Amino acid sequence: MSSTEQGTSSAAPAEPTTAPESAAAPEVPESFYYVHGKDKVVHKVSAGALQHSALIHGMISNLGYTEEQAKANPFPFENIDGDILQMVVDWCNQHKGKPTPPEDTNLPKQKEKLFDLVLAVNYLEIKELLTYCCKQVAMMVKGKSPEEIREIWMIPTDAEDEAAEKEAKKRAGKEAAGETAAAAGDAK
Amino acid sequence: MPIALLKFPNDFLREVFRLCDPFDLYKLSKCSKTCSQKATMLRDTKKWKIGFSALNNAAIWVDGSIYYFNQTDNPEDYFKTKNSGMNSTHMDVEFPIVDLFIYLVDTFGIRIVRIMGIGSDNFHNVLKVAQVLIDRRMEIESFRIFDVRKEQDVVNFMPLMKQMNIIQEFKCFLKFPPNFHFEFVKYPRHIYIDYSSWFTIDQLLDCTSAWIDLEKSSLNNHDLDVFLQKWKKKGTFPNLRWLEIGSEKIDDQSPILEMIPPIKNVTNPRKKVSINGGGYIIDGVRATKDDGTEGWLKVELGGWPILKFLV
Repeated sequence: MSSTEQGTSSAAPAEPTTAPESAAAPEVPESFYYVHGKDKVVHKVSAGALQHSALIHGMISNLGYTEEQAKANPFPFENIDGDILQMVVDWCNQHKGKPTPPEDTNLPKQKEKLFDLVLAVNYLEIKELLTYCCKQVAMMVKGKSPEEIREIWMIPTDAEDEAAEKEAKKRAGKEAAGETAAAAGDAK
Repeated sequence: MPIALLKFPNDFLREVFRLCDPFDLYKLSKCSKTCSQKATMLRDTKKWKIGFSALNNAAIWVDGSIYYFNQTDNPEDYFKTKNSGMNSTHMDVEFPIVDLFIYLVDTFGIRIVRIMGIGSDNFHNVLKVAQVLIDRRMEIESFRIFDVRKEQDVVNFMPLMKQMNIIQEFKCFLKFPPNFHFEFVKYPRHIYIDYSSWFTIDQLLDCTSAWIDLEKSSLNNHDLDVFLQKWKKKGTFPNLRWLEIGSEKIDDQSPILEMIPPIKNVTNPRKKVSINGGGYIIDGVRATKDDGTEGWLKVELGGWPILKFLV
């Protein structure tokens, strides 16, 4: 059972739960779709929440799935970790049908997840969440010294860059030499 | 918790760097050349404008804010920022100011100088900076000469100024020696000269500026009549929008456009004509060019005779 609101999930093929509805019931019954990440945990998400993702919105806009068809065909996002997809789904639910506030307090706070979150959000084309992630990354270095910035953003020094470049050239040279030797062997 | 910034996709990095101000990118440039080059490319810093003030600091104009870089000798103050309101922030840096200016221009690929001023305290630095601007063929939007103690220094500087590409504005508040002479190679859009006795009628007749303001001038009624008669001819002074001449030599002894000063319209109800940029004339007399273009003239006498002409 997956509860996208509470962040608790179980592995598929368990029955997914419905995200809580907004207080005012919509006049037209809302349609739901199903997504899962690398961990196969299925999340049931309303079409309204999924509108935040340009990628998914484009996928579902002309499908016309029935509830059963949607349940039987969850969208697989195998390149996204389960906990990251959970964060994204949570965010989409929290911001369903609402203008996003300038200072979003619902952003995931775990910086160790930020990199994966950015990749997922970038892939799913969730523009507003991407903007917030960018802001969070940019704010990490405000008022910091160059040395602190280098540590926070893990920026290699010029010497490290040069060493890496030399190493890469050396490796490429060895590979090229190996390929030449192999080709010569084949010719014999 | 650190994150490996450079592993992010470029679209994301572009957005992150868009949120970075010039101080952030300056500090980033101190971290690594590779990272700095990526940041300046994605941030499109070539569009930034730089300034060099008479107070001996460098500033960058971007997105409606001004970022001042001030030199300090105290390492404890390096990279400390201070907000001074009105969208301006200051940061102390370690560079000597001219080196810093060159570093900012080169690191961020800046092509335009928003404003540059020459004063007593920064004269020798301006000499060096001016040469850099000339060598790099940079555009200077506004150049100002303030009161410099040794005016001969500025006289010696003027040949260098001739080579500077001043586009928008030239303002001069310095009183040059009586024998001073200077010819503009190219006129900026707006000139204001406080002690303008060196600016002759021949220069005025050649001037292509849109806004000309000459104070403490030595031009007389005859000069101004010659200028305005020329203006009336088709195709002359196509840029001119505002002319203001303050001169003790304007008097009521000879006509300007067939009128003896003071010149103002007293028969009609008061009428104000204004143009963008702040110039206005109340009770001006209409003057019409051969091509039908309308101008408004007003000449006042008294302690400080003044001619105003608006197109």
